Amino acid sequence: MSRRDGGRLPGPVRRVLEPFVDRTVAERVLISLAAILLSIAVGFVIVLVSGRIAECSAAAWTMPVTGLGFCYDPFQVYAVLFNGALGYPLAIGEPGVFNPGWTPFNLSFGLTLSETTLLIFTGLSVAVAFRAGLFNIGTQGQLVVGALATALTVLALAPLLPAGPVSGVVLVAVGTFAGAVGGGLWGAIPGALKAYADANEVITTIMLNFVAANVAYVLVLEVFRAEGSSVVATRYVPEHAQFSSWLFPGSSDFALLALAVGVGFIGALYYLVEHTSFGYDLRTSGVQAAAAEYGGVNAKLTTVRAMTLSGALGGVGGAVWVLMSEGRWIASVPDLGFDGITVSILAGNNPLGVLPAAFLFGILKGGALEIGFRTDVPTELVGVLRGLIILFVAMPEFFRMAGRYAGLRSGGPGGSGGSEANADDADGGDDGATGAAVAATEGGEADA
Amino acid sequence: MRNPLADVPVPILDALIDDDYVRSLVVGVVGTLGALGLLGVAFPDSIAGDLAGIVFSTGTAASTARLAAPIVLAGLGGIFAEKSGVINIGLEGLLIISAFASVYIASVIGSGNALLGVPAIWVGFLAGIVASTLLAGVFAVVCIEFKADQIIAGLAVWLIALGLAPFMSTVFFGGVNTPNLGASVGWRYSAAMVVVATAASWWTLNRTAFGKHLRASGENPKALDTVGVSVSRVRYAGVLLSGVLSGVGGSALALSIGQFVGSGETMVQGKGFIAIVAYLFGNYNPLGTLGAGVLFAGLDATQIRLQQLGYAIPDTLVQTIPYVVVIVVLALVGRTRIPAAAGDHYETEE
Repeated sequence: MSRRDGGRLPGPVRRVLEPFVDRTVAERVLISLAAILLSIAVGFVIVLVSGRIAECSAAAWTMPVTGLGFCYDPFQVYAVLFNGALGYPLAIGEPGVFNPGWTPFNLSFGLTLSETTLLIFTGLSVAVAFRAGLFNIGTQGQLVVGALATALTVLALAPLLPAGPVSGVVLVAVGTFAGAVGGGLWGAIPGALKAYADANEVITTIMLNFVAANVAYVLVLEVFRAEGSSVVATRYVPEHAQFSSWLFPGSSDFALLALAVGVGFIGALYYLVEHTSFGYDLRTSGVQAAAAEYGGVNAKLTTVRAMTLSGALGGVGGAVWVLMSEGRWIASVPDLGFDGITVSILAGNNPLGVLPAAFLFGILKGGALEIGFRTDVPTELVGVLRGLIILFVAMPEFFRMAGRYAGLRSGGPGGSGGSEANADDADGGDDGATGAAVAATEGGEADA
Repeated sequence: MRNPLADVPVPILDALIDDDYVRSLVVGVVGTLGALGLLGVAFPDSIAGDLAGIVFSTGTAASTARLAAPIVLAGLGGIFAEKSGVINIGLEGLLIISAFASVYIASVIGSGNALLGVPAIWVGFLAGIVASTLLAGVFAVVCIEFKADQIIAGLAVWLIALGLAPFMSTVFFGGVNTPNLGASVGWRYSAAMVVVATAASWWTLNRTAFGKHLRASGENPKALDTVGVSVSRVRYAGVLLSGVLSGVGGSALALSIGQFVGSGETMVQGKGFIAIVAYLFGNYNPLGTLGAGVLFAGLDATQIRLQQLGYAIPDTLVQTIPYVVVIVVLALVGRTRIPAAAGDHYETEE
């Protein structure tokens, strides 16, 4: 660990900061940031090109110097995406930088935080499996099963208890637990198949996603469908059994309490993975299964446990989706599980990284709605950005190469590069900027 | 040192039916169809009679061919990529991008027109293959040059295509679904492409030097390097071929309908993932892949026809069958043998 803060910081603080001082973690953070910047740059080019192709009566943006007109304004897209997702804290075109009428408890920010909350659970689900060397693509299915278990449990129990805040707490707790059990059992299937039948978990989890979606659909269609409902959905769980949206508008489908639970899960998972013997088994199985076995770890059991835990987290995500966002199980389950994969990858599969990663994707989701309201640019752009971020995060070697190249070009590690970092506008500049950033760390490492 | 690529002669019949998978698959499919046919003949008024009528009707054959094309072709592509050592989980994305590109280009030219004497729909077909191959090329560079995690990069390919195709469709046509071209490629073309591609893939993998290099690249890249063949070139070829074949599959799917549907999971609807299942099920044998792909597509086609005849089977349950079958098979047979070096990066030793 770093020698500078070694003696001065109190123990708990040091333990929290430790992972960030770790070089490999620092590199991951830098690579994730670089990937986001590069995706933004590529997205910028996509907006420009499609803005050139699309037809419109008046150009939304004219490129300086060349005088070329474009149907879409790429600067506006990003301003709306990031500013809009927070409810416009920055006043654009007004005197003054900040919007005086802005409060954090606005609808847009609520929607963003709602997505963030849900993605925390699915992101953790994928991250835990990943740490055990398992690629759980099945969080989506585990979420679907967990959500259905939650909805059915709460619907069955609610009539037995008197309506009120006390029974509300009980119903939310029991419902969330039911979601965890449902998701956990569904996650245990590919875990057991992997451990005892050597069936590739990537394939089985993909298959189980389809099975979960289809079986849950048929179950609700044939058995649990709300009477008179035009869509395939269960009845609504009672109001008092839902997370209530304090401070935020009810239509934002966001509850601070659920976010707090999510953050609590992050802390708990981080502790579990890094500071318990189960976490040790998990990590060693993930890094080197054979060595773990030799060291006395029961790899088969660890695999099943890891997948069960991962599935349970996905199931809790489903519970929160039912009890916070939707109020019922409905067939059109959003792709929260798949987004969880992207969150986990961006987070470097570190539970602590899941919070900022989930928040970023929450912003992208919330911002997509704003893009739909305020610009002509198709909201699917955000889906492209998501894919690009994942692609770039997957290729750390690219950034290392760029870093080395930038290091060479500027005549030494940690050399100039600040000017390049500022030139991060359209194309060309981005490689320089990320490269320089990575080069700067390499310089820093050389000094240490 | 023994030459690791020494040519071991394989009797053609053994190679055709080179493992239990394919044999049991063939026996199973033929047996089921035979039993169904007999039942149908014996009791023409029963459900079995209806089923037999459906399974052996031209309409079902047509829709089976249409549904099987993307599964089998992408599956064949997946074999080439994975045999070379690159797991391509992005087949779904390649299907999506080619499906959109083919319809877009055909509509730009105008479905009644021709370019250099080639009817628009076939120009669109080529454009779809080019688009898919380009995306596969990006995937190859990312995986081979920049040593990306193949699974994550493959997911990225899927997500990018899943966003990009509806995005472009909205830019060009004002909605995630393109208008219908009003002209389409007949199902017989789809069937012919599937058969030709399967035969050609089998021949390439089992009877050519390139096929041998592919297998060595996935099993023992170091040996391949030792005999002086560039591993990364073989892997590029494998991944690009997966792009070409998926491109044929995606274009065939979209142009057999004459439209790209970009809502939800797009019109590809997980067929790329089913393709992965199909080649694993067929144990990396093109013939087994064909069998599995036709089986899955046939189930789907039969289910669609049953609905039309008024049998109240929830279609989603029938659609679940292939997935459950795959899980059961994986559980019973265990892991299909993935090429030893698949998923690993290879550093050339100077």
